[in-house]
Parts: sequence; structure tokens; C-alpha cells
Amino acid sequence: MKMKRREFLGRVAAGSAALSMPAFLSGCGIQQATAIADQTPENPFMDWFGVDEATTARVMAELSANGADAADLYFQHSRTNFLTLEDGIVSSASSTIQQGVGLRVVIGDQTGYAFTEDLTLPSMLAAARTAAAIASGSQVVAPQSFNAMGMGDLYKTTVPWSDVGIDQKLPLMKFVESKARSLDEAVDKVAVYWADQDERVMIATLNGKLVTDHRPMTRVTVTVTAKKGDEVQSGFSNIAAREEFGWYSEDRLTTMVQEAVDRTMILFDARRPPAGEMPVILASGASGILLHEAIGHGMEADFNRKGVSIYSDMIGKKVAEPFVTVVDQATIPRERGALNYDDEGNQAGRTVLVKDGILKSYLHDRISATQYNLEPTGSGRRQSYRYAPMPRMSCTFMEDGPHTKEEIIAAVDHGIICETYTNGQVQIGAGDYTFYVKNGWLVENGKVTAPIKDVNIIGNGPESLKRITMVANDARLDTGGWTCGKNGQSVPVSQGIPTVLVSKMTVGGENVS
Amino acid sequence: MSAELKERAAQAVEFSQKAGAQDSWSTASQSRDVQFEYRDGSLEKVKDTMSQNLDIRIYAGGRYSSHSTTDLNPERLQDFITEAVAITGALEPDEYRRITPETLFADRPTNDLDLVDASVQALDREQRVAWCRALDEVTHQHERVISATSGVYDGTQTSVSASSNGFLGEQQSTYCWFGAGVTLRDQGDKRAEDGFYAGGAHVVDLPDPETVGRTALERTLSRLDSEKGPTVKASMVVDSRAAASLLGRLLGAANARSVQQGRSFWAPLLGEEAFSNKLTIVDDPLIVRGLASRHYDNEGISSGTLPIVENGVVRNIYVDTYYGRKGDMAPTTGSPSNRVVKPGSQSLEELLGVAGTGVYVTSWLGGNADSTTGDFSLGLRGHMIENGEIGRPVGEMNVTGNLRDLFTRLELVGNDPYPYSATLAPSLVFADVDFSGA
Repeated sequence: MKMKRREFLGRVAAGSAALSMPAFLSGCGIQQATAIADQTPENPFMDWFGVDEATTARVMAELSANGADAADLYFQHSRTNFLTLEDGIVSSASSTIQQGVGLRVVIGDQTGYAFTEDLTLPSMLAAARTAAAIASGSQVVAPQSFNAMGMGDLYKTTVPWSDVGIDQKLPLMKFVESKARSLDEAVDKVAVYWADQDERVMIATLNGKLVTDHRPMTRVTVTVTAKKGDEVQSGFSNIAAREEFGWYSEDRLTTMVQEAVDRTMILFDARRPPAGEMPVILASGASGILLHEAIGHGMEADFNRKGVSIYSDMIGKKVAEPFVTVVDQATIPRERGALNYDDEGNQAGRTVLVKDGILKSYLHDRISATQYNLEPTGSGRRQSYRYAPMPRMSCTFMEDGPHTKEEIIAAVDHGIICETYTNGQVQIGAGDYTFYVKNGWLVENGKVTAPIKDVNIIGNGPESLKRITMVANDARLDTGGWTCGKNGQSVPVSQGIPTVLVSKMTVGGENVS
Repeated sequence: MSAELKERAAQAVEFSQKAGAQDSWSTASQSRDVQFEYRDGSLEKVKDTMSQNLDIRIYAGGRYSSHSTTDLNPERLQDFITEAVAITGALEPDEYRRITPETLFADRPTNDLDLVDASVQALDREQRVAWCRALDEVTHQHERVISATSGVYDGTQTSVSASSNGFLGEQQSTYCWFGAGVTLRDQGDKRAEDGFYAGGAHVVDLPDPETVGRTALERTLSRLDSEKGPTVKASMVVDSRAAASLLGRLLGAANARSVQQGRSFWAPLLGEEAFSNKLTIVDDPLIVRGLASRHYDNEGISSGTLPIVENGVVRNIYVDTYYGRKGDMAPTTGSPSNRVVKPGSQSLEELLGVAGTGVYVTSWLGGNADSTTGDFSLGLRGHMIENGEIGRPVGEMNVTGNLRDLFTRLELVGNDPYPYSATLAPSLVFADVDFSGA
């Protein structure tokens, strides 16, 4: 593979302008694995990280030298490319390579963690000794060889991002810009932000599993600033997925641009709603933010095994009407939150949090699953090799209910309908959560009337679940690029929901008398 | 100066020039970070890491790009930088993208900022565990405690920057933080939760772990039996910790990038009396032992005191070299350092007394602001102010308005700046604020 690196260098020197991953990366990709099998008898990922089975076993032995219930090595390489279009030109690119191995020892609920970015044996052994210091027992049996798990197929790509040059991306960014300008003459400034990522992980576990995953990701964001007289408004839209370049069709980009311009122009007419408690309709799609904040985080089992979540004692109890079913599912192809395996090497899956109104299951990582004597739900995730994993959401959504959107709107006398959001937050113990509504509408006497903007909504998780009085049959996942932060770690997630009615929430507003 | 980092930074510049870059600016950094976390009587997590990074900004053929890698293998680093220069060539030219001129880094201050504490670098496992135990013991001194997690976080960060036009600088700082998060049994399934963290560059500047743990427990106890407050227009007293966060939102768009891109409500405010005359904010990067102190910023611009708002009048915003050139503004610095709000003379108790009634905000929950218009809406937790004193705890409320308008109604500033944030803000009192609750 070293030869491949030099070949790559030659390619750049010859004047290639591609914003590409080194050839040895793509050469080690899954698609080419068979072709190079004679050179790499073990695993293309091992070769890629410059380790072999014996080295991995040696480091694992050192990691478990003082005893371990579980231990893992998390090798990761990611390359992220960014491009910025502002004031009509693409004049800024940036790229980031993150490569390293995270080493973890687990004893009961205790964790020892270290990482190194130097993938040589002495550095990895030193890091292993540091992580192993959490334990004080004796060596457990470490595997001499590793059993490679099958590759997942949720986000296979035919063209990796390493093979896509700036010359291909630039015209799409220009298209987005000119489209935005063409949609309304009040559009004054347009910015387009491009991101793509190829990430490879290889996870070796104490029980001898070897999991590999190639995780592509991309996101395009457009920001629009419009002027009418002295008044300036700005808005944005983005789309994201574990996808490849061909995903960016003209239609898809046009839809995104139209959304951004619509969301911006409506702000000139939008006002704040009256303040206080009122019925809130959540439009289908991005309103899945409700689920993420009101229940999702509270169902992450690290909070529950410690007893600090408001949902800690609620499994098996009725928490919502029978038409409410909430799911966290990593196995939705190409979604931003999709994962073949979690970051502990467990098969990612589908976890029903609420089934027909009954609280069913938490989201588990290895530590919590062991404590609850359950199988892990494949929810152990981490931002990178620099962090230990913990239970996280993937794609969180509510299934269809028995009502229609029209019935729900007709049922509200004085309330609002929320459509777009920027962010949310929750307090796990008290259950209070919030989300910020960027765009929405007043609903008066069963009709959608005037546009509203910029209000925070606050509620209490279990109370809001009980107050979901209607659920429509129009469930969809949002295509936006959501990122979830927890204890200082960010991971990509997806969310979705059908149109629902929450009978009472506290809406930020003005004109309080 | 770290010889290894200096060589790495200089070598990166050399690699880029070999590959055809006219100018480049490189930063080699490394960080040792240690976390000890203790929960409910036993050690839960130990994380001990050394990380490294190389950042480079490349100017080639009137074009610009920036890159970052943790893979410092010399051969691969040269490949990476060679490729980075090639990438730069594929972009569109931009006359405003130029390396930081020498005039902006020529006169770098040399005062001793005292950001390195050798005793942090000498901390051992026993000391960290002893602090954790002390925190853990204090945080459990109440019958309602369900769980409490305590932590000691310390480390050393070092970076060396070198440029093709003669810049060479090193910055190093240590940090040490104690903290605890506490969860208490409350009504029904509800848990009350809060915490407290204190830190700085030097161990001797920290309160002892018992004080930190006790504060964490007391803050959480004050949350018990919290209820939804009323929908009301009233005075708002923001405690110093929450004020630091609110100031962060106010200043979020006070920069050349946001202004030039048409996404800042600060755009028409330069030179104007935009806020209450009680508001004075200075960016001061030269505070001895300050949490965000530095001799130069990430573009190499020499540090100096920068008045942002003086008695309500906007004097400066944060201007980096690129958006400064593009927007015709003289560069100041593109990145905030220590943001110091000029304190008043009264204590928090006196401020609450003057307010008489209203809402006392101790922390925010979510919310956001539109940087273009300044419209904001934030979730909050705190207490009702009753007869000029702290009353019943409230939560599940929002405060909504416009940031500029809110800061015209800043009536009083306390004498109690919060020391554990780079934004040194005291408690603040605002009149006629819109709250939504029950």
C-alpha cells in the first residue's frame, strides 16, 4: 500500500486538482477489497491503519493486562472536505484528517480510556497501559486472532468522496447560488457551504470480533440574506445524508434552495405569537426534534442506570395514547443517522422506545446492557477515537397515527403550527426540554393564518407525551443535517414525525400585558 | 520554545512552499488532557490522553485554503500538504485572501501572562483521586441525592505558529477544573439537577473541592419543587453565570464576517449609542492568568485591549483580516479573548432588592437568537423575586424579545463578575421583559 501512496503523490504533482483522499484510502475501500486480496491477506482496513492481527492482539493483551469485562480498540480515519461560496465565488476550501486509535477498558461500570494518533506499536502499547490503569486485577484471556464481521450495506457508495474533485462540486455550488438569486429579487447575499466526509473505522474487541465500516457523509447548506428597504432578514436550509456525489440532483438542490428563500422571505411578514400556554401543532418531518428532546435523550440508558433520568422507573408504563409509537432505528439506508455497526462493534438496529403508548426499551451501550442483563441495542456511539462511547440516538421518529393533518388543524381554536427549527435542549432529570422554532404559523379557529418566527417552546417530556392528542398519517424523516451533542460529543442524527397535536405547551412570545 | 513543535510548524511551511505556495501559516499543537470522574463513591472513568495536530493556511496564486491533520508521519504530512496546495489551485482567486501582514504582528506584547502552572503538570493519580473523593463526599450530604458525578479535569496545551513572512510564536497554558453534577429525588418521577464547575490556569486560584461540591449541591437543592412560573412582563435579574452566556449571545454577531455577510444586527450600530449607558464591554487578552489570555490571536495579530461597548456606545467589533479587507474595516481581532463587562457597585442581593419583583434567572435552557435581527427567545430556570428576595423556584418558562432592545433596558450591573468564564460578566437587571409560562 505504500506504493499506492507514492502513486498518489505523482498524480497530484501531475496537476490534478481533485480534492481527494489519498489513493491508498480508496484503494483499501470495500469495493476493491477482492482485487487487492492477494497483497493483503488479512483485512484491507488493517492494512490501511498499518497494523496486522498480531499487533492488534498484542495491544489488546496489554489493554486487558489488569483485567477487563470488555475492551476495545477503535481505529478511525476520517477525511472531511469543506468548501465555501460567498459573494459569488468559491474562494475557501478546508480539509481535516483525523486518524487515531481509542483504547478502552471496562470493568463493571468503570472505564479507562486513552488514545494515540501515532499508530506505531510502542505508542499503542503505552496508551494501552494508560487505559489499563483503571483496573487492578490480573490478565484476562485476550484473543490471538479476530473474527471479521460482514460489511454492512446501508450506505455503500460507488464513487467515494476521495474521487470527487473540486471541479465537480464547484458548479453545483454556483447552481445553488444562482438559483437562490433567481427566486426573489429581494435576495441580497447567498452563501453556500459544502461538506463531504469519508470515514473508516475498525473496531477490535476483547471477545475477538473485528468490525469494519466505511461511513460516507455529506451536507450542503444555503444561507440567504434578503433586503426590503432598511429591513434585513436571513434564513437557511440544508440537506444531509450518508450519500455520494450523484445524490445531489438538480431537483434535490432546487427544493432546498426554494425552502431557504421561502423561509427567509416569510420573515418580513412574520411576528411573534402571543406568549403563554397553547395548543401546538408540529408539522411532519423536522418536528421530530420533539421526540429527540422530550423522550429520546431521557431513554439513553446511561442516564437510567444511574437513576438520573425522569424515565428511570417508567419501563412498561403507559406514557402516551395508544396511537403513539416512537422508534429509534439506525438501519434506514443512507440516512444521516444510519449506522451498520455502532462504535462498540455491535450490530446497529431498531429499538422501539414507545409501543402503542407503552414505554418499552432504553437505548443501551455495552455497559448499560450488562447492568440491565439485556442485549445491547447497538446504540453505543462516539464522536471520534478521542472519546469513549455512550448510548446515543440514530434516526428517531414516530410512526403514523389515525388522524389527518387537516383534522388536526381543524381541531385547534387558538394555537400555532411549527415548521422549521434550529436547535433544542433537555434536562434529563426534570424532563424539561425546549426547541427553537424558526418558522411557523398562527392557527385560529381551525385555520392556518399569519406567519410567526423566532420563538422558543418549552415543555416537560412525560407531560408532553401524555398531551399528544392527535397523530396524523403523514410521517416523514427530515432531510436536514442534524447533529446531537451530549457530554461534549457530537454525532450525526436524523429525526422524523407525522403531523401531531400537543394539547398544551409554553410558547415564547411578546406583547405580554 | 518546544523545539519539536517549532520544527514541525516550520517544516510544514517549507513543504508548502516546495509545493508551490507563495505564503503559508502553520500551527503545530499538542495537548495533554486528563479526566478523573468519580460517581457515588467510586472511580467511574479515567481518561488520559496526548493529542497532536498540524494546521496550515495556504495562499497560492491569489487563492486560499486551510487544512488540519492529526497524522504527523513526515512522509504522509508532506503528501498532505502537497495535495493541499494542489487543492488551493482549483479554487477561485480572491484578492482579499492574503497572509496576515507583518505590521499586525510586529509589536507583540511580552508581559508575563502566567498561564502555566507547573503544579498542574505535576499532578498525580493520588491527588486527582483525593480531590474527586472530597467532591464526592460533599455532594452526597443530603438524603435526596440519587446520584452525583464529580470530576477533576486538567491538562496542558502548547502550540507553535510559524509563517512564511517571518512570524514565530509559542503559546502554552495549563488548566485545572473541579466540578460536580448532582441529581436529587423531586416530586413524582422528577429529578432536580444542577451542578457547579470552577477552574483556571493555576491550582491555587481554585476554590477547594469541598466548596465546589457544596455549591453544586446547594444549587441543586434550590431547584427542588420547581414549578412553572407565570406569563408576565416583569423585571429580570440574571445571575452572573447566566449573564456570561447572555453576553455571549449579544456579542455573537459583533464581528466583521457576520456584518459583511449581511447577517448581523450590529451592522448599523458602530459609533452609535446602541445600548443602555450602563453597558461597557472590553475585550482584554492581556489579563494575567485569564482564561482566554494570549499574546496573539489565531491569525497572529498582536494582542491589545479592545473596547467593544463604552457606556452603551459601540466602539469596535471583532474584525479579522479577510472580512476586514472585504468589508473595509480595520482589523482588530477576529476572535474574542477575555470579554470583561464593567461591574457596578451593588451586590446581587441589592440588585434583587431594587428589582423588588420579577424573575431571577440562574440558567438558560435552549433557545436561540436570530443574528440578523437580534430577535431571541430563551428557555430559563430560576426563581421568582418576592419582596426583593429570592423566592420560589420556577422553570419551564421562556423569555422573548430582541437583544438590542433588551440591552437598552439594562438598568443595573452588579459587582460580582463570574470568574470561571472567559466572559467576565456580573449580575444584570433588565426592565420590562416578556416572560411566558403558565
